[in-house]
Amino acid sequence: MPEKPVPDQDPIVTKSYAPHYVLAMVILMITLFWALWDEAFGQRPWKAYQEEWKHRYVAFLKTATHSSTNAEATVTASPDYKALEAEYNRLKSQTQPDVDRIQKQITDLNAKIIAVQNVFTDRRAYANALTYEMETDTSASGKKSKQRDIDDYKARKATVEYPDGHREQYNFKELEEKYNELRDERTKVSAELGEVLKPVTEANTRMSQYVTDHMIDLTPTQIEGLKKKTAEWDPKIQQINVADANIVDRCESCHMGAREPLKISAAVMTPKGSKRPDEYAQAFVSHPEPGLLKIHDPDKFGCSPCHQGNGRATTSVEKAHGNYEHWLWPLFPKQNAEAGCQTCHAADMMLVSGDVGWTISEGKNLFRQRGCMGCHRYEGYDKEPEDLTAVNQQLKLLEQQKIDNSKQSAAMMKQADSAQSNEEANRLNDKAVALRVASSKIDGQIQQLDFQSHSLMQDMKKVGPNLKDVRLKLNKNWIPVWLKKPTDFRPTTKMPNFRLTDHQIQAISAYIWQSALTDSPPKQKPGNADHGKQLFESRGCLACHSIGEGNQTDGGTFAANLTRVGEKANYDYLVRWIHNARERTRPYCPYEKKDIGPEDYAKKGLPYQFDLQHSQCPNDGHELQVQNMTVMPSLRLSVEDAQDIASYLMTQKKQEPSAYTDASFMDDPKLKDEGKKWVRHYGCAGCHEISGMEDEGRIGTDLTVEGSKPIERLDFALFTETAQRGGKGAEPITDPEDRERLPEGPAKSDWYNHKGFFEHKLAEPNIYDKGKVKTAEEALRMPNVHLNKEQIRAITTFLLGSQESSLPTSYQYKPADTRRDIQEGWWIVTKYNCVGCHQFIPGQNTSLMGMARYKDVQEQLPPKLLTEGARVDPEWLRRFLANPALSTTDTNRNGVRPYLQVHMPTFSFSDNELRKLVRFFQAMSQQPMPYIPEAVPTLSTKENDMARSLFSSTAAPCLKCHATGDANHDKNATAPNFLLARERLKPDWVERWITDPQAISPGTAMPSGLFKQQNSQWVFAGPTPSTFQGYTGDHRKLLTDYIFQLTAEEQRRVAASMGKTRAAVPSPTRQKQADNSHPTAGHGGGR
Amino acid sequence: MNRNQWAAIFLASMLALGMLTGCSKKENTNEEQGTSPSSEVKPAGSSAPIDPATAAKISGTVSFDGTAPKPSKIDMSQDAACKGNNTSETMVVDSGKLANVFVYVKDGMGDRSFEVPKDSVTIDQKGCQYHPHVLGVMTNQNIEIRNDDDTTHNIHPTPKDNREWNESQPPKAAALEKQFTREEVMLPVKCNQHPWMKMYLNVSKTPFFAVTGSDGKYEIKGLPPGDYTLAFVHEKLGEQTQKVTLAAKDSKTVDQAFKQ
Repeated sequence: MPEKPVPDQDPIVTKSYAPHYVLAMVILMITLFWALWDEAFGQRPWKAYQEEWKHRYVAFLKTATHSSTNAEATVTASPDYKALEAEYNRLKSQTQPDVDRIQKQITDLNAKIIAVQNVFTDRRAYANALTYEMETDTSASGKKSKQRDIDDYKARKATVEYPDGHREQYNFKELEEKYNELRDERTKVSAELGEVLKPVTEANTRMSQYVTDHMIDLTPTQIEGLKKKTAEWDPKIQQINVADANIVDRCESCHMGAREPLKISAAVMTPKGSKRPDEYAQAFVSHPEPGLLKIHDPDKFGCSPCHQGNGRATTSVEKAHGNYEHWLWPLFPKQNAEAGCQTCHAADMMLVSGDVGWTISEGKNLFRQRGCMGCHRYEGYDKEPEDLTAVNQQLKLLEQQKIDNSKQSAAMMKQADSAQSNEEANRLNDKAVALRVASSKIDGQIQQLDFQSHSLMQDMKKVGPNLKDVRLKLNKNWIPVWLKKPTDFRPTTKMPNFRLTDHQIQAISAYIWQSALTDSPPKQKPGNADHGKQLFESRGCLACHSIGEGNQTDGGTFAANLTRVGEKANYDYLVRWIHNARERTRPYCPYEKKDIGPEDYAKKGLPYQFDLQHSQCPNDGHELQVQNMTVMPSLRLSVEDAQDIASYLMTQKKQEPSAYTDASFMDDPKLKDEGKKWVRHYGCAGCHEISGMEDEGRIGTDLTVEGSKPIERLDFALFTETAQRGGKGAEPITDPEDRERLPEGPAKSDWYNHKGFFEHKLAEPNIYDKGKVKTAEEALRMPNVHLNKEQIRAITTFLLGSQESSLPTSYQYKPADTRRDIQEGWWIVTKYNCVGCHQFIPGQNTSLMGMARYKDVQEQLPPKLLTEGARVDPEWLRRFLANPALSTTDTNRNGVRPYLQVHMPTFSFSDNELRKLVRFFQAMSQQPMPYIPEAVPTLSTKENDMARSLFSSTAAPCLKCHATGDANHDKNATAPNFLLARERLKPDWVERWITDPQAISPGTAMPSGLFKQQNSQWVFAGPTPSTFQGYTGDHRKLLTDYIFQLTAEEQRRVAASMGKTRAAVPSPTRQKQADNSHPTAGHGGGR
Repeated sequence: MNRNQWAAIFLASMLALGMLTGCSKKENTNEEQGTSPSSEVKPAGSSAPIDPATAAKISGTVSFDGTAPKPSKIDMSQDAACKGNNTSETMVVDSGKLANVFVYVKDGMGDRSFEVPKDSVTIDQKGCQYHPHVLGVMTNQNIEIRNDDDTTHNIHPTPKDNREWNESQPPKAAALEKQFTREEVMLPVKCNQHPWMKMYLNVSKTPFFAVTGSDGKYEIKGLPPGDYTLAFVHEKLGEQTQKVTLAAKDSKTVDQAFKQ
């Protein structure tokens, strides 16, 4: 075999693969390490958070301990604590000898027990063993002999050597007795020790309780506990799992501080040296509103039902927050966080808890007040018409059932008459009777429903004015100018800007004008404008209306700004409106779909009279709409006062009404039909009453679940890509005014999400038409509602939360108890803008509060209603709300507070709304319904005299401020007449009120500190009259009882005597000058 | 994306293996420092003591230009116990000098803090008027409110930035003791039973304030040298300010005129 020459360059020999292997190995190693690292950390970013949390929180707790220790030192230095401590020490030293003695006894006993036990247990074991042997022995003789052994053994004496050295001899029985005796004794002595120590332990508990009660923050011990817990923390997934609701939220794996009992801000979690809180610091803050967590226990609610986001995700912040394309419910943006409330609280109108809820509540309110609901259906909003339809349907059903019943019962009676047996006849007759009873019950139901339907008719309101009245009410030439751009005339108007062409304006004005009623309002005498101004500014008009423009504006935003009303209004109509805005020109019959006139009444020979008591159609008996569908109440002004106010308002103008360009085209009948088309197209009837369009449906989208619409179904039109891309040119809105409306300013990054869509749509409603070729009919119809940033943010929040929730229905807040009364009440309270005058929840500002005219005279503001339900008798409240003058004759006044210039208006609430309001107030104050008043005891003559001396004492001069009905006295009055108390107030509330009125109505003119607690008795804080010597009753109660049985006669006497001799206690027999002080005002209707 | 970043970080850290230990030690120390929160309560201001040797003084006169309205009379007839001076104290002008102006250092003290005086200041209700009509106190300083009348008053401050309260005080009752914790100028105090009764409290963080007397004069002593804004506040005529620079041991006169 020829030897092959070895090639010089044999790859096997010369070429080394080592580098390849090394490289491969390195790559493999890297991959391995990377995989391991990713497994341990990459996939678990929360671990880093938890490590960081441990460091930062422990450090924070250290500083907290410091301040807490200081605070504790302050508390323990207080005399109260010192007293507790002294008491503890005293008890301790007092019981010490006993304790020592008993403890010695126990020690002795223990030693004795051990001594006895040692012997006893041995012997017992032996005895037991013998017994076992005897039991297992098969022969009877064996058993006998064993028994003998046992007896011998038990009789034998054993020696016990006690610790003190002395010995005793016991047989088994004695030994057992001794052992049990010693043990019993030890139990007894131990109990004795507990008994002796009890006061000491209690004193000790009192001390630590005092510290806990008086420390505002956590005690050092509590903080120490937290520190320990945190330092020992082992990183792990923190998870809330609510199986029923399919909630798995791991948010707290990073948000470790969310539920900590201390307030943790981002600032305190920021590492020293860095100016801004980093992502850790921001994640570790405690929940800003712990009060909310108390009512929404995170263990039941988790986090995502309120905040959204992907609660299960743990691999990155983006994923956990749901900010990626595969998750449909991204975290609600910070600015719109309150959207989460809406997902469960859609049925609530007011959602405030601490600082949270103002935005969403504002959004809900705007949706209604600005007339959004005129075009967009939203469940729960403007539901009176829907309810009315439902009621009418139910009525029809019941009527039918009644007919069926009577037929059936007739048939049965017929059968009974010809029945075979008496038994059979009686059975059938009984059935027939039952059916008649059932029918009678149905009658009751029908009456209730009739009542409902009457109420609902009254409750239906429109956001805008009744356009059937334009001919009576308006300067004709003004109409086209207004329609062009309402904000040019009145910048704050609710009427939105429709982008109408001049031709559309002409056609619409022509239709409105020609379809309107041609009646004319009664002529009015001119009034005194100066007096009118004074009334306008003081009566309370400004709680809803505003006057003046720009920074000169004064008043509320609920109703129109009246700065230029003189240019558009007709004086005669205005007087009628101010006198009673609900007064309608003609009643409307929804059945005939027709405005009923005098001719219809004349045909039936009826007087032309229509009001709430005369609300049946003369033609067919159906319920009529007899009121203007406005929420504007009657201020119970005299016609003269109404004329004065109207005269003042007519002076409010920037140009003469005659300066408007002639608009006679409005009479052109050719324009009418086209006008009608456009009026319908733009949905004007959503907010206005318009002839021929009373039953128009809404033209916009239903928004009830708009927030859960998939993003693809929101039409970004030509801006889809721009919105997705973001970057330069991301903002499509160019109009500077509209750009100003964007809550987050012009878009800088991508905005392809619900928030972006809603905000852009609200800022410039036709933005998604930009660049499109569309006809006038096709173009987007939504008008520009000219909202500002905050308003758009509020409405966007509301819409974002408008979702079809994936949570079980039990999570929806639809309570069936008194909390429902609260829910329903808020809809009415906001509907009529009660909040413009009254404070319902602490922190809520009324329109009047901020006004300069009340700055120094806060007592002239309408009362706060923070505890109204606890204050007043519900039946009285119902009467008051129906007639705030509390009189049918003397109506131009306040029934309760005659001294207020602001008058509580008559809202002409339906019975339905009255009931709901009364229940609302009771529920808001946690008062049970029905209310059964507690009996007020009749005072004896002596008690009466004592109470009177308090009532009129110099130290509590009640009648100095409280009205008495005497005009001369009442000019200085700032509080209601006591004579109203009996019917109006609840005695328990009065007691609380006179104790601490500032807690019930902060800032009230009624001072606190009239009574003080002495031992366990409440006594008058001023010098007590001598008659009180030895009186052990509650002084507050005595005074309350007195007030509840105060008569006009008695009050007059007291008032008169107080005027005479100030300090002296008046004698009840003294009858003085009762002649000039007839209390005509102040308690008319109430009594 | 994220994984790539991590991979890169990992590689980098592999390469820097040798340094790692040292680094991590450093990191640790950083963390130690980083853990103590930045918002730890700072020592309340730089309360460097004011050297009495360099302390300066401001004084001056506040005048009123124009014809002062005649002080209106108050009708006190509703309460027989109200006797005495019944002229309104809203505008007290004596030959062009304006009384009841609160003068204080509005700006320039930086974050200096001052000790609260142990002494109480007194408000006296006498003849159904408050004495004094305008009062300056320091935050947390004790205010003693006395009733020398034979009638009941209630003391009802209506503050903007402090807590509101309203307490009854019968004749001869023990004095009420109250404090206000936040700075506030011209805080109105009134009595609901005698609607004309009104006074103004001024709560200051510094002890550098004064109220002009009937001669319009005021004096503020013990100021450390510095640049200050001096404010003059009148319940009706509002606030006016002046800038003042004080050198050590200065004694400056700062006058101010109010116009109707």
